[in-house]
Amino acid sequence: MRGSSLGYLFKEGARNVWVNRLMSLASIGVLIACMLLIGSSVLLSVNMNNVVGYVEDQNEVVIVLEDDMDQSELDELDDELHDIENINNIVFVSKEEAFQNEKDKLGDAAELLREDDNFYPNTYRIKIDDLEFLDETVDEIGRLFGVEDVKAPTDIAETLTSVKKLVITMGMGIVALLIGVTLIIIANTIKITVFNRRKEISIMKYVGATDLFIKLPFMIEGLILGLISAIMAYFILWGGYSYLLSWLEENPSTWIQSMYGSILPFKEIGLKLFGGFALGGTGLGVIGSMIFVRNYLKV
Amino acid sequence: MIRFTNVSKTYKNGTMALKDVNLEIQDGEFVFIVGSSGAGKSTLIKMLLHEEVPTSGEVEVNGFKLSKMRRRQIPKFRRSLGVVFQDFRLIPTMNVYDNVAFALRVTDVPTRDIRRRVPYILSLVGLGSKARCMPDQLSGGEQQRVALARALVNNPRLIIADEPTGNIDPELSYEIVDLLNEINNVGTTVIMVTHEHDLVAQFNRRVLTLEHGHIIADDQEWRQ
Repeated sequence: MRGSSLGYLFKEGARNVWVNRLMSLASIGVLIACMLLIGSSVLLSVNMNNVVGYVEDQNEVVIVLEDDMDQSELDELDDELHDIENINNIVFVSKEEAFQNEKDKLGDAAELLREDDNFYPNTYRIKIDDLEFLDETVDEIGRLFGVEDVKAPTDIAETLTSVKKLVITMGMGIVALLIGVTLIIIANTIKITVFNRRKEISIMKYVGATDLFIKLPFMIEGLILGLISAIMAYFILWGGYSYLLSWLEENPSTWIQSMYGSILPFKEIGLKLFGGFALGGTGLGVIGSMIFVRNYLKV
Repeated sequence: MIRFTNVSKTYKNGTMALKDVNLEIQDGEFVFIVGSSGAGKSTLIKMLLHEEVPTSGEVEVNGFKLSKMRRRQIPKFRRSLGVVFQDFRLIPTMNVYDNVAFALRVTDVPTRDIRRRVPYILSLVGLGSKARCMPDQLSGGEQQRVALARALVNNPRLIIADEPTGNIDPELSYEIVDLLNEINNVGTTVIMVTHEHDLVAQFNRRVLTLEHGHIIADDQEWRQ
């Protein structure tokens, strides 16, 4: 195909968007609505996931050490503890520190504590990476030499793990469902668009146009509509999300505030969303046009 | 040249539209095809355009054997002929110029050739001043002349006109056929389907009469 012909076909595609502007508007509307639905679900589930992750991070396991350990034994335990996977934030709290902490807390009553009778044990405070494997990790720690007891929030961990699983499966399920619905709606929209212009297509065939010559402007049109929708959906979602965030900031309730830090800023996920929109929108437009135009090419 | 050899066409619903038709039209001829509705005129035209293929027999047009033609060859074949329909079939969203230019664009003609050729053809059919009009701003006769310009623009060896005067005023019909006549005078083969006997009588040309799927008359000269 000659370069000028290719240029003509691109221009035709762009012109068709304008000439059939009512249908274009309808297609863009449908696409944006679908993208907004999918985008909000993605944002919601990502944030839910994050909040659950935040709560998860609040867990603390306390390792109580035996009282009669010398420094070399303590050092050895420290090394072994650092070798264990699935834990982080390993903080050692010595007998003396624990005593001092308690003394500070008691205030006037601190006199009751006597320096020569420090009954507080050496402890470690650690955090668990993945609560799902809490039991295994606790077992592993319990087997180390010098560990008297491991205090872990087992019940909370179980609840959190199942909540997290639910959030992930439901989020994925809803997004998958929405994508399915979107595919059907868009397929139908393209079908109507092409059907409206079946006469035009058949005329082109009679004049001796090749299939590619007829299909290309439709594909360009699909590309343009998909791209416009992606851009608009991106900005609407951005605006809506920022508005919601600022509202949360102005109307803090304690529980929202406590997890405010774990809500994702838009710029962290926005680009990925836009990439998905643009790729999905243009891909659907191009492939959809290709499939449905073919139905009318058999003249 | 056009040659039908023992062509029969039976549609899926059982209608036998053409029955064992044999026909030869030489290059440069002007042929009217007449007959009442249902006689098989439309089927004959559809065969010529490769819109339908015969159930049996062979159709040969401009050197293409249509029943064995591959799908990929159809565009190339259609560019070797020009078609005019009763309902004009102009693309409603393109202006007159673009409708005519379209027939050149599909054949990958360079833009500067299109710019030269389209105005020439439009002035030939008397529409030089209406190039920027949209089809719905034109009268029926004008629209048909645009269609004719589109059919002519890439210098086809054969023009097929399927009831070209069916949708336009009788006084303008003569003009259209006269245009076809002139085109024929410079060597292009013209086949025109019509049921307007008065019109046929005004031009002293070969007339094929179809009835119930048979050619019942083939008059080299025809007077009412």
